[in-house]
Amino acid sequence: MVPVPVLLIDDDTELGKLLEEYLQSEQLHLDTAHDGPSGLEKALSSQYAVVVLDVMLPGMSGLDVLKQLRLKSSVPVLMLTARGSELDRILGLELGADDYLPKPFNPRELVARLRAILRRTTGAATAGPSGPVRLADVELHPESRSVMRSGESVTLTGAEFDLLHTFLRSAGKIISREDLTQAALGRPMSPVDRSIDVHVSNLRRKLGPYEGEQERIKAIRGSGYVYLLPGEQP
Amino acid sequence: MRIGKFFLFRSLFLKIFFSFWLAAAAIIGALTLMARFSYSESMPERLRGSVGEGLALYAETAVQIYDHDGPRAFADFVHRSYVESGTQVFFFDASGNPLSNIDVHGDEDVASLVSQIQQHPQSQERFYHLNLGKLTWGKGIIASSGRRFIFVMHFHSPSLGPPVFLSPLRIIVSILIAGLVCYLLALYLTSPVEKLQSMVKSLAEGNLNARVAPQLGRRSDELAVLGHEFDQMAERIAALISSQKRLLADISHELRSPLARLSVALELARKNSDGKAVPALDRIEQEGERLNKLVGQLLALTRLESGAERIPADIVPLEELVQQVVDDAKFEARPLHKEVKVMVLEHCRVRGSSELLRSAVENVVRNAVRYTVENTAAEVSLQWKLDTAVFSVRDYGPGVPGDELENIFQPFYRVSEARERSSGGTGLGLSIAERTVTLHGGSIRAQNANPGLIVVIEIPLTPSPEHKIASHSQRPVSV
Repeated sequence: MVPVPVLLIDDDTELGKLLEEYLQSEQLHLDTAHDGPSGLEKALSSQYAVVVLDVMLPGMSGLDVLKQLRLKSSVPVLMLTARGSELDRILGLELGADDYLPKPFNPRELVARLRAILRRTTGAATAGPSGPVRLADVELHPESRSVMRSGESVTLTGAEFDLLHTFLRSAGKIISREDLTQAALGRPMSPVDRSIDVHVSNLRRKLGPYEGEQERIKAIRGSGYVYLLPGEQP
Repeated sequence: MRIGKFFLFRSLFLKIFFSFWLAAAAIIGALTLMARFSYSESMPERLRGSVGEGLALYAETAVQIYDHDGPRAFADFVHRSYVESGTQVFFFDASGNPLSNIDVHGDEDVASLVSQIQQHPQSQERFYHLNLGKLTWGKGIIASSGRRFIFVMHFHSPSLGPPVFLSPLRIIVSILIAGLVCYLLALYLTSPVEKLQSMVKSLAEGNLNARVAPQLGRRSDELAVLGHEFDQMAERIAALISSQKRLLADISHELRSPLARLSVALELARKNSDGKAVPALDRIEQEGERLNKLVGQLLALTRLESGAERIPADIVPLEELVQQVVDDAKFEARPLHKEVKVMVLEHCRVRGSSELLRSAVENVVRNAVRYTVENTAAEVSLQWKLDTAVFSVRDYGPGVPGDELENIFQPFYRVSEARERSSGGTGLGLSIAERTVTLHGGSIRAQNANPGLIVVIEIPLTPSPEHKIASHSQRPVSV
């Protein structure tokens, strides 16, 4: 089995070495960059299946790297954030990171997250024949992973795309946050995990309401979210 | 906005404005009185002196003309001075019968003067009358023919009338102008205070870039100096806070990097070890996790207490936040055979940081889950009372001895050491909650419920119409 190439952008070289050793046994080949600019350059070389990016980087911040990266590349990004810094996390997810992990992390959790991202990104291309999905003003094309709203293209991150796909398949039904996390992020929801809410709110913002200001995605307290059908009363 | 600021400063502004204006009006009044007084005083002097001599000469000339050349020439002479200066001449014979054709009926000044002169037939004395700035002057004159006449004049001559600025209209206008000047002066004096005040407020609200200097322009008085000193202070505070923040970020990074390496090394050790090492490795993992949690909470507490944390003024829907925390807590409580129940959940909007408030609520709920005994539930409720959101959590645990209730919000305070350790708390959760709630202008307290403990958090609601509507049409709450 060919090891999957993973890029780690983190200034902690010792951590990089340890992780490299650990991930080797998991069939993941870790390459490291220790600062923003060189990390960005490597990430843009499109030879990695996934990028692990530390937000706290000397010189160029991880969020800046992500911003630059997203201008040119859609390579999946897993962010490592300082624990307790919700702002970094929300900003990171908004800038197009696919998932995040608070640092210090459990390496088993890192592997699980990486596998989830890889399953989604590589799996999507090979997933069975699924035609375009249309609902009112929104049109989703699984094969090109593109979304149109009222004829205009909407740029979504990988997680947001999978989230919308899940919503459209079960439009009008309440989907629990656990199920959404599983479907959109490819991993079970962990306690105190708000990332699905951030993804939903990003998606909501990008799609906007239906015509006539009707709400599109509604939070059901204690249960999850529902993608409302047009004309349906919230 | 102008109006609002005006009212904000009403006391100082109005004080300066009115006291200055009052002073100015008083000065104008005093000057007017003095001028009037000194004018009245000086008038007799002038009439006795040079002015009186001139008038007497004029009167005698007029009388000689009457006596020599007849009434017609007299009328011509008198008419000329009437045209030139508005001086009216009244002419009487010794017994007071008018000789000129000007009607004197109703003119009391003239009549009284005439009778005065009649009473002193031998005198050459001059008589005068001052009334409302108008001068009536008279004299008995004996012509060269020996006939005696009474000569009376009415003056309109400005040189003899009262000074022009003494007219009531002019006094009112000058007081109004003084008012305008005082208004501008008061504005000039209070506007830098107003700017300073708004900047101090802005700084207090956390805008560390608030500076007064650019707003003061080229002023260089004491207020400007005060402004510059404020700016220096703000500069220092900003520097202190930013270095504090940097230090905290550095500590956070430096403490966590070894922990991150530790956890990776631990997993490597796990892979390469046989079963015998598992309990020890588990213990290492557990302690590493505890250390990590402790670092995080210690940093959070330090941040809260240092003031480096700026509390944003976002509107936070507390009921959503509580529900999310409860959902998470249920998830964690289930394996421990414990429950989390929502008793009441009302719409409450407060102002602040949802991140901080979440951690406060979370710490209190977790604490309750930790202490409630197996097969019981931590009971959570959120209600609004008047202008306050009241969040309370009750557990069915051992409670806290009455005299120690106050202490449980102290960092690292433990009621029962053994229990706390085994339940995995860091001893900082409630302290963090307490600091957070205080920073949001609220209060937190604990009371025994026998059995168990109730922790109550009160946070002021943000006044908004949305809240009122929501509270009336209470939607059913899914629990």
